[in-house]
Formats: sequence, structure tokens, C-alpha cells
Amino acid sequence: MRKLSGFAAVIAAIIGFSGLPALAADAQDSIAAIKARGFLKIAVFSDKPPFGFVDKDGKNQGYDVYFAKRFARELLGDENRIEFTLTEPANRVDLLESGRVDIVLANFTVTPERARRVDFAKPYFKTAIGVVSNDKTPVKKVDDLQGKKLIVIRGTTADVYFSKLSGIELVKYDQISDAFQALRDGRGAGLAQDTTLVLAWANENKGFSVGVGDIGNVDPIAPAVRKGNTELRDWINDTLVKLGKESFARQAFDATLKPYYGNVEPENLIVEGGNF
Amino acid sequence: MELDYPNMIASIPLFARAAWTTLWIAASGILLAGAVGLAGAFCLYLELPYLARPIKAYIEISRNTPLLVQLFLLHFGLKVDALPCAVMALAFLGGGYMAEAFRAGLEAVERSQVESALSLGLSHYETVRHVVLPQALISAVPAIGANVIFLLKETSVVSVVAVTDIVAVAKDLISLYYETAEALVMLVIAYLILLTPVCLAVWRLERKVKYAVFGR
Repeated sequence: MRKLSGFAAVIAAIIGFSGLPALAADAQDSIAAIKARGFLKIAVFSDKPPFGFVDKDGKNQGYDVYFAKRFARELLGDENRIEFTLTEPANRVDLLESGRVDIVLANFTVTPERARRVDFAKPYFKTAIGVVSNDKTPVKKVDDLQGKKLIVIRGTTADVYFSKLSGIELVKYDQISDAFQALRDGRGAGLAQDTTLVLAWANENKGFSVGVGDIGNVDPIAPAVRKGNTELRDWINDTLVKLGKESFARQAFDATLKPYYGNVEPENLIVEGGNF
Repeated sequence: MELDYPNMIASIPLFARAAWTTLWIAASGILLAGAVGLAGAFCLYLELPYLARPIKAYIEISRNTPLLVQLFLLHFGLKVDALPCAVMALAFLGGGYMAEAFRAGLEAVERSQVESALSLGLSHYETVRHVVLPQALISAVPAIGANVIFLLKETSVVSVVAVTDIVAVAKDLISLYYETAEALVMLVIAYLILLTPVCLAVWRLERKVKYAVFGR
């Protein structure tokens, strides 16, 4: 009995400790706190061109980063007053909940599961799910994947979507770059991810193409803040509406996305002024 | 912070299924590591020419590179499939540690034991089989036990090559439902359930061996 109660105490201690991070994230991300600190803390991708990536000079680039810099200019008067945190898809919620970043600008698709844990601002982009495959064994529709392996990146909308289907074996990687390497190595019949991303990747990689690009709904992609931080969310919304008047999303598209989607209509991808 | 207990209970079957994968990788990897380690230690003990140097190099390489790096090299570099890759990497890492454990055990057998056995007329094989090995294994038990526990815990990184072990299940639950605390508490409990019996078994074995040698 004594041994058993010791074991229970260990479990109780673990459960107790799990409550600590919630207290630690207390309001360091209010607008007053950000202005006092002097820089915005924003999470972006490091390996997801053309949305968020680190270029060969070590600088953060991409559509998300273009918006992040403008947010810093609007709030703090200088687009360089940002501390970028590089993230993976699965970490985006935790970065906000633990208070390590103020805003996530990492191609973050709005889903009900996510909306329970973070507050989404108005969208600035939109996408469906697409499957990229080797031209030798093309995937033209979702049924082509029955009984086969499909590579996904853990925590993405594609992961959630295909986890709910049966008959397709998912091969899950944490790193986007690892997942694409796995596709090159033939570890799956295809790779499912946001259509916008797989289109861009297929454009850069000969021998691969996007056979199906309209899986699921067209979902909004939006900046996210910590749950309950309505002040910062409202500020982002107001700023997006204001930027819409100068067609900022279109400028961001021309500056960052156009080289990747030469022939795609910008209106199919961008959301101007938060108007989804 | 309130934990979502119904969801934690609902995730038990997922963890249970993945626990078999973790155990399977650990068991095969540890057995292979034991075989590699014993063979390596023997070659060193017998001072076999040409083999000693490569084996020493192997021990240093396997013990001084992280399992994560070995996994990446096998999976993305040498294109080994996920599950065999996890077992091979664990065996590679464990082989080095096991070789050191067995070597220490073999070296703990005093020279006079071998000399006495040979002078009593035992063959080389009989000397190793009946005199050296039993004593060496007994001295090596604590180190081998520690290695077994260490290697079982090291399996926690294999999900980077898309193996669905219990860590992968926890990561999936976090990324699907964003219940980080719940998934991690379940993961800790899963590892405790896997490791506690192994720890107790190792502890009992050590006590038995100690009793056999020292009588108390």
C-alpha cells in the first residue's frame, strides 16, 4: 500500500506541474507590454517558401514575413522591431499558450479545433488541401490513395483531414523538409499539404506535380494570438482592414508569391482587408 | 488548469497499440545490441589481430554520436525504411555501450583464474565457457541492466523517422486536439508503465547476483 501511494504521489505531482505554464503566460502580450518591450515576437516558418523561409543570407522572407514586418511598422514605427521565432506546424499553438510569441504568422489555417485554443484574427490568405505526387505514379483523385501510404506533416490541416478518412496509411513527419525528402525517396504515393504550398514545391521540383488540389473546403488562413488576447486580435483586424485600402495583400503577393505562382490568379489565394 | 480526463481515457487504446511498437523496437534493438556488444567485447578480450582497431573505432563512433543523428543518417542518408531503421540505429548505439559493459565484465575476471583453469587441463574453449564467461556476465549485470533501461528510453526519438511509437501518438494528439498537458501526462504514465517492471526486474536480478556472489 505504501508503494502504491508513492506512485500516486508521482502522478499527482506531474499533473500538478502541468498547470504551471498557464500561469506564466500572463499578459506579457498586451499592446502596452509590447510597446514597452520595443519589439514584436512573431512565430514564422523557416522552411516553407514562399510563405515563411530563411533565405541564403539568413534573413526571414516570404508572404507571412511581409505581413509581420508591416505589423511591426504599424505598431512600433519600424519594420525591423521583430524577434522572429522559427516554428513547426505542430508547435504553433504551444508557442502562443506558453507566451513565447505574441502573434503566429505561419500559414495558420483556421479550424474549429484550433479556434478553441487560440484566437484567430481576420484572414489574409486562403487555401484548400492538395496532393503532390511523382509524375511516374500520379495521384489524380483521393480514391487513388486507397490502400497506399500518404505523407503528411504532423499537425497540419491535411493531417487532420486524412486522419478522419480510413483506408489510407499516413506517414507523419514533424519537419516539412523531412516530409518532402521522404516524398523524393518514394516513401509514399503522395504528399498532402496546403494546395498553395504543394503547388509552389512542385513548381520548383521537376518530375513532381499536383494531381489534385481541391480537397476539403477552401479554408481561411489568419494571424493567431493567445486565447483571450482580444486587444491584440482587434488591433490586427483593424490593421488588416486599413491595409486592405491600399491593396497590401496584392503588394505582398507580387513581392513574394508571384515568382512561385506565375499563372495563378491572385484573387484565388489572397484575402484583402480581412474580407473572406 | 483542468485536465480533460475523458479524452485522456479515450486515448488509452492509441497509446496501448503504440506501446507494442515501442516495446518491439526496444526488444529487437536491445537483443541485437547485446549480440553485437558481446561479440565485440570478445574480439577485444581475445586480442584478435586486425579486428581490435575497427571494433574500438566502432565503440567510439556509436557512443559519441546521438541516436537522432544515426536515425537521420540511416533513414534519409542510406534510405533505410522507418521500422528497420529504428531497430538498426538502436542496435548500433546500444552495441557500443553493451561492448563496453561486457569488456568491463571480462576484464574483471582475474588472470589467475584463466591460468589456474588452463593448468588444471581445461581447454581454451572450456576455460572461457565454464570459468571466464560466468564470472564476467555476473560482474557485467549492473552495467547491462543500466544499458537496457537507457536503450528503452532512447526509443523516444524514433518518431522523427515516422515510426508510430508512443511519442508519435502524444505528438499526434497534441497536433490534432491541442491538449498538450493531457497528451504529455499520458506519455509520462505510458513510459512509467513500460519502464517500472524493467527497472524492478533489473533490480531483482542485481540482488540475486549479489547474493550469489557475496551471500548477503
